[in-house]
Amino acid sequence: MSERELINQYLKSLSIYLSRLDKNDANDVIREIESHLYDALELQQQQGKPSSAQAILDGFGDPRLLAQQYIEHVVNGAPPPEGFNAIQTVKRGVTKSLFYSMAFVGYGISLFLIVVGLCKLVMPEAVGVWSASQGNSITITFSEHSIPQSGEIFGYWLIPIALLSGGFIARLTTKILAALKRIIA
Amino acid sequence: MKDTGDKVNEKWDVQLRKGTLELVILAALKARELYGLELLKLLHGYETMQITEGTLYPLLDRLKRDGVIQATWHQEGETRPRKYYHLTTQGEEKLSALASRWRQSVQDIESLIAQPASVNKAQGK
Repeated sequence: MSERELINQYLKSLSIYLSRLDKNDANDVIREIESHLYDALELQQQQGKPSSAQAILDGFGDPRLLAQQYIEHVVNGAPPPEGFNAIQTVKRGVTKSLFYSMAFVGYGISLFLIVVGLCKLVMPEAVGVWSASQGNSITITFSEHSIPQSGEIFGYWLIPIALLSGGFIARLTTKILAALKRIIA
Repeated sequence: MKDTGDKVNEKWDVQLRKGTLELVILAALKARELYGLELLKLLHGYETMQITEGTLYPLLDRLKRDGVIQATWHQEGETRPRKYYHLTTQGEEKLSALASRWRQSVQDIESLIAQPASVNKAQGK
């Protein structure tokens, strides 16, 4: 096999293994290595050495392994270039604010429900969930007077319902926060 | 005996290169543009830097993606086009940071080799 054929065969198989790269990037790699191979061949001739394309190709190694090093970052999702750190920071900022607002909202709702449940237990007449305007709106009231023209729903069932759902929401919030923390870390 | 000595040297060179090759490439490209073959020949002029083409080119590609070096194709006259590499501003900064770290390491190791017993001194006692 001639030197040229040997080189062409190597480049051809390299380009197959580089197919996961963007076409322009792959061409760039091939062109560079091709240029190196012919330059190195000429250099051998100038130095009066027997020209051997195989010896130069050996320096590049198995085309599959060489290509692997070029596509590693595509396959493994290697860290983005340093310039992208700004984006990473923004992303982390978003997750962090999400973390705190999630904690605030989640524990807030849970605390409110538990307080409602406890208040109903302590002053059953003053606290209740009321269905007003024929069921079009539901209000939770703390009042000394019961609201006329509207029916109280749940009654004493409000106590277990409020306490249980408060506890459930608190647990859910804790779980979500743990998951978010893993993302931030 | 010489054989084992060579083996030790080779192993040591490989290990040391793993950590220092980036500094070596950045230093080689300081204030000049080189293409791959030129860079390789330059490194091969040094006893401890016998790297292969298969190591150099993928590394250049990574350094380019890291933004410390940049590549441009040049064609002079009738010669075939060659891809030249040069440092970016970020690369120059990285070079000086790595270089000063390297000098510190050499100084520390030299000091240990010269005076292996001075433990108290190193701990500032």
